[in-house]
Amino acid sequence: METVLIFVETKGGEVKKASLELLSEGRKLAQTGRFKVEAAVLGPLPAALADKLLPYTETLVHIDDPLLEAYTPEAYAAALAGYAQEAKPKMILAGATQTGRDFLPRVAVLLGCGIVSDVTAVAWEDDPITCVRPIYGGKVLTEVSPLAYPVVVTTRPNTFAIAEPGSAPGSVVESRAGLNVGKMHTKVLRVEQKQKGKVDLTEADIIVSGGRGLKAAENFALVEELAAALGGTVGAARSVVDAGWRPQEDQVGKSGKTVSPKLYIAIGISGAIHHIMGMDTSKLVLAINRDPNAIIFQYANYGIVGDLFEVVPAMTAELKKRTGA
Amino acid sequence: MDVVVLAKQVPDAEAAIEIRGEGAKLEIEPKFATSIFDEFALEEALRIRERHGGHVRVITLGAGKATEVLRTGIAMGADEALLLDNAAFLDGDGYSTALALSRAVAKAPWDIILCGKQAIDDDRGEVGPMVAQFLGFPHVGGIVKLDIGDGKAVAESLTEGGREVVEVLLPAVFTVQKGLNEPRVAPITGVMKAMKAQIPKMTPEDLGLSAQEVGLAGSKVRVKRYLPPKKRPPVKMIGGEAAEAAAEAARILAEVERVI
Repeated sequence: METVLIFVETKGGEVKKASLELLSEGRKLAQTGRFKVEAAVLGPLPAALADKLLPYTETLVHIDDPLLEAYTPEAYAAALAGYAQEAKPKMILAGATQTGRDFLPRVAVLLGCGIVSDVTAVAWEDDPITCVRPIYGGKVLTEVSPLAYPVVVTTRPNTFAIAEPGSAPGSVVESRAGLNVGKMHTKVLRVEQKQKGKVDLTEADIIVSGGRGLKAAENFALVEELAAALGGTVGAARSVVDAGWRPQEDQVGKSGKTVSPKLYIAIGISGAIHHIMGMDTSKLVLAINRDPNAIIFQYANYGIVGDLFEVVPAMTAELKKRTGA
Repeated sequence: MDVVVLAKQVPDAEAAIEIRGEGAKLEIEPKFATSIFDEFALEEALRIRERHGGHVRVITLGAGKATEVLRTGIAMGADEALLLDNAAFLDGDGYSTALALSRAVAKAPWDIILCGKQAIDDDRGEVGPMVAQFLGFPHVGGIVKLDIGDGKAVAESLTEGGREVVEVLLPAVFTVQKGLNEPRVAPITGVMKAMKAQIPKMTPEDLGLSAQEVGLAGSKVRVKRYLPPKKRPPVKMIGGEAAEAAAEAARILAEVERVI
């Protein structure tokens, strides 16, 4: 039987959503009887983390090495590719998160195989598999297939549904990466965490973004309050990042991040093409703008023409009422 | 410091793109620009040379308008440019493109490779890390700050709600993103120089590669079809006074669309 290897990404003991999506998809693949699915964790594996993962996979491979304590693309790529050379999976899957997109290309080179990055749909039953990936900021979709196996595929967060954990827990298989310290050239000096528990825009379910229409940096409080009521992440248009109202990591658009949340709320954003290229793959878009001719409405499912300083607080209050907060 | 910039000329963000031949190919309005992230790479290379001395080499792979990115680089101040110019190089995937670029880099001594975190046409973001692996050196992805020291560099990249600072031994590859610097506008003397510059070219043979190892032929994955994105249904406007519209929007999100 052919093997599918899923890289499980964790942060602070939690499993990344994109990894849970792939594990859920992996369970379906295992049920077809065509594939044996293995999930791989690199670096430390606390018992609580193993307990979270085992209901999702028959085999949890724990690839360990002192060099895997902190993420570096060199060590992660060497460790995952090293294991893949033994296990000979047909496919290596990972979430197209910042980390996934950073080191999986190196894995492909180490294995001498192809990679399809940032995929938004996969037809597993096709032979070879067909991956859908957006190009030109979502203006065009491509269908991409590997010409040979193995192949590395990274899938964009929010691509697959997350299944309920299964009832038959799998088992942990220990594997030593045996990395050569002399061959590693990267050392993590420090990680500065300003905001605890902040979900990256590229992985967020719900994004509330603000633009020039907010008129001043302090008015972003309205966006933050709505985002908090929804459990969402705050995004920003380029103009307000360039004006210094918001940090660079909040920028959605061509020169910022490409996002595909389930819900994207655009507040006081006119809809320049640079912004659209970053958010047009969102599943549902609500735009709030006082200009009825704003371009953003052409890229929205729902629109409210009105004064955001009235509409947004009213919406926040309404949502709090609904959730009983 | 010998700095190499891998840069790409891409269709402008505003260029119209049509799918032709039942998904077989794209017809793209001929409006081009340097891929935005590569501009930050070019600027950083020049700043490194200004601070530490050295030499800046710009390399691109492609046909036709591809040369423009090299002329942009020279106009901004790069010392040298190289075009991988052969039909065989074209239409590659990340793997074959990175293989050719890594061979081209290795033709001369280098300490630092800079490139954008991704090109804004294919949005693959594969070439930087792949070039690093082909050459057997480290990379740091998506950096917003870079300090070059003696035989090593300290780079900062953005993570969820924070920053990560890593130290890396040189030679190394850095993929860069917005926030690193403000790219300069090329001086008029630079533009004049760039217009007259003779751009050296290399073929696959010059890189020790066969035509089967580069471009489309050397690709490990292939685009089978181009498709239009799923069209969003026409926008539904939610009317009424602010409070009414807000309540209705909340109701739709919760009860109709069930996204919250």
